[in-house]
Amino acid sequence: MDPIFVKIWQAVISGLSIGSIYALIAQGYYVTFITTATLNFGQGEFLMIGALVGLTCYVSLGLPFPMALAIAVVVTGLMGILLERVAIRPVIRHVLSHSWVLSTVAISIILKNAAVNVWGPEQMKFPSPFGDQVLKIGSAGIFPQELFIIVCAISTVLLVQLFLKKSLLGKALMAVANNRNAAAVVGIDVKRMVILAFMLSSALAGLGGILISPVTFAWAYMGTVPGIKAFAAAIFGGLENPIGILIGGLVIGLLEQLFGVINSNLKEGVTFLFILVMLAFRPTGLMGRRTIDKV
Amino acid sequence: MRLPIFAATGSLGWLIVAIAATVIWALPLVLNDPFFILVLQSLAYLYIAAIGVDILVGWTGQISLGHAGLYAVGAYTSALLATKAGFPFWIGAPLGVIAAGIAGVVLALPSLRAKGPYLAMVTLAFGFMVEVTANRWDFTGGPMGIMAIPGPTLPSGAEMNATQYFWLIGGTALLVQMLAANLYHSRVGRTLFALQGSEVAAETLGINVYAWKVVGFVLSSACAGLGGVFFAHQNGFINSDTFVFGLSVQMLTSVLMGGTGTLLGPLVGSVILNLIPTVFAHLHEYHLYIYGGIILVTIIFLPKGIVGSLLLLRPIRRLLSKTNEGVPDASILADLGRSTGMTLSARGLSKHFGGIRALNNVDLDITPGTVHGLIGPNGSGKSTFVNVLTGIYRPTAGSVEIAGHQIAGASPHLMARMGVTRTFQSIRLFGDLTVLDNVMVGFHLGLRRGFFAHLLQTRGAVDEEAALRAKALALLAFVGIADRANDLAQNLSYGQQRLLEIARALAARPKLLLLDEPAAGVNPTELNHLATIIGQIKAAGVTLIVIEHHMELIMGISDTISVLDFGEKIAEGTAASVRADPKVIEAYLGAPSESMDA
Repeated sequence: MDPIFVKIWQAVISGLSIGSIYALIAQGYYVTFITTATLNFGQGEFLMIGALVGLTCYVSLGLPFPMALAIAVVVTGLMGILLERVAIRPVIRHVLSHSWVLSTVAISIILKNAAVNVWGPEQMKFPSPFGDQVLKIGSAGIFPQELFIIVCAISTVLLVQLFLKKSLLGKALMAVANNRNAAAVVGIDVKRMVILAFMLSSALAGLGGILISPVTFAWAYMGTVPGIKAFAAAIFGGLENPIGILIGGLVIGLLEQLFGVINSNLKEGVTFLFILVMLAFRPTGLMGRRTIDKV
Repeated sequence: MRLPIFAATGSLGWLIVAIAATVIWALPLVLNDPFFILVLQSLAYLYIAAIGVDILVGWTGQISLGHAGLYAVGAYTSALLATKAGFPFWIGAPLGVIAAGIAGVVLALPSLRAKGPYLAMVTLAFGFMVEVTANRWDFTGGPMGIMAIPGPTLPSGAEMNATQYFWLIGGTALLVQMLAANLYHSRVGRTLFALQGSEVAAETLGINVYAWKVVGFVLSSACAGLGGVFFAHQNGFINSDTFVFGLSVQMLTSVLMGGTGTLLGPLVGSVILNLIPTVFAHLHEYHLYIYGGIILVTIIFLPKGIVGSLLLLRPIRRLLSKTNEGVPDASILADLGRSTGMTLSARGLSKHFGGIRALNNVDLDITPGTVHGLIGPNGSGKSTFVNVLTGIYRPTAGSVEIAGHQIAGASPHLMARMGVTRTFQSIRLFGDLTVLDNVMVGFHLGLRRGFFAHLLQTRGAVDEEAALRAKALALLAFVGIADRANDLAQNLSYGQQRLLEIARALAARPKLLLLDEPAAGVNPTELNHLATIIGQIKAAGVTLIVIEHHMELIMGISDTISVLDFGEKIAEGTAASVRADPKVIEAYLGAPSESMDA
């Protein structure tokens, strides 16, 4: 196989795997945005917590990987509950309408500091439960972890959508998203649904963290950039279009890795450029709903 | 929050400036410690940057999580010009500020229509782009940075020492603050605050919202860039490690803590926040906890910041509030738009929202100098019609001709230029501005003095403001709320707010004034008052279109009435003929039941 094709092929797999992580995080944005019109600007830090908690469980405590994954997800989910209580609920009907942006940023800063204090600032290796052996397909090599990520992340996204559309609890959540007062009137506990939304959103980020760290590193500063890139995915779909978000995540991941083949310096900047250009022309996202405000 | 305080012109203002200048001169001499002088330098340029952040966040109401990027542009431009092109500081520095201003325009473009989280993300992405570029581009030196950056030189040829550099930065900071204060109290500040209050309303008063947002961004980024320039020449070395997201957060926090939208907020906030690392140097490990904690506590408990919260205290407000003792200039009332020749014809006007036909093929003619009523059941398309006429909605089909010009699809501020303005069904005042300032914003199109006149508070600008204030008082007296001139608009009663909207609209000297349900929620006394005012506006020569549900009012004041139902015009004529029209009765009350005589 031509070396450039090998590179492209590997970029596609890496792109899909990191992209599905973006989709996972972005789905977290979607869940809280539709229920409360807020999102967690520190979502990336929750990804980081998931990764580091998972690291501690899997490596330091030697627990089996599925258990480490479960614990990481549960811990971040619980932290999501805390986030809602501390950073969202006090400011949701506030004088400044963007208060929640800043309060969630504040939480993310505190979490970063906490992570540095507990785990230190260095990058740490997270051994993949599938081993470090590269799977050879033709002359292209991919990590089994990457395949696992793609499968796991995408199926989680679809499962969450199924939950939201088909289960009673999920429908209650969507009801709150649609019309808070109407949901309350029919007996849905809105406060509890909001807590559930944040729990779900943070758990998704935590899952993303523990999935991705064997491929990259696990460290205290790993979260901020993926958090923003996941937002690019959310913008692609528009914050209210879950399938658009999934596609957006994959597209962003692919774009990044493919640009990386051309020039690794471009890789970093392309997503941010994409966000800027996208929002310049479509302020509510590429596939987002165009709304006209009643004046 | 914008109260007319600290408009300390005249001797008090200059006294404050003199005191500040003395403090700046004395501080390094008193402290006499090289470390503290460096700290003072940092305080000063971060303060300049904080003023920039406040202009964007506090005045214009945008969010910025990426200001470090603008700071970086100023710093790198000046540093690179000095090291790679040998430019002296005195040339490189202004170029750095200009470069930052241009970067501000680049940041503004995707920010113009984005709101809320999307806007936050734009600024975040911008900041990261600059950081990544600084990190990866060989030209900027990346993490190795740029070295041997010379400081500013004195006329003697020697480089400035630390104390002199502080005097330079501190003096510049004082100058920037003074200029910012000038703008704050002038039309520039007022317009930016109006954007924050209601973009839609601002647009209908003739303000080109996009252009002014760009102005806000440029002013903000120039200040941030200036801060960056001073930073670059402080230690002779910069690298990409400085210009990270954390710095943007730090800048934003300092403004939040001080109080957004206040004159002294950036000073208080940046001094406190930037002193903390020095005072608590041993707590460096926990500095992110401290920043995060401060943001959280400030946002939840002190959303108006320190200065903003202090300003809320009654005694302080009374102490600082400027009393408007101006004499009202009633000549404005004779000066309202003469609308002769201001014919309006709508032909086949339609507006569809997806499947909903809010307006369907409406023809309407307005005779200048008359009051034209527009009635119809809820949802019949009245507000949509007004929105299309004032340029807020683009029509799906049809044409509108005003005074011979085809105007369908023109933007609201162009419509305002043509002499068309309006009030809103759901009141859209600039709540944080005073009642007087609200009306002053209405004068936007008639202002003659430009940006620089207001920046420097020239005689011409000061006189113009005084003249306008007098006219504004007259308009307030005309609608009957002159006694509330200094109160915040949001503190008025509902009926008074409606009157304020009318006064504000009149300030724009409309030839055609559209009132959208001016009597909604108004009590009978206020109703009579309203009818009188409408009559007087008509007598002044303004053409009026009034949407109303209050039948007595509309029948009493209108020369012609058009009736809409389900987006179509079903009747038109005098009040009497419309009242008796069976189609109109059916639209409101339903068809007569057939089984009545059974």
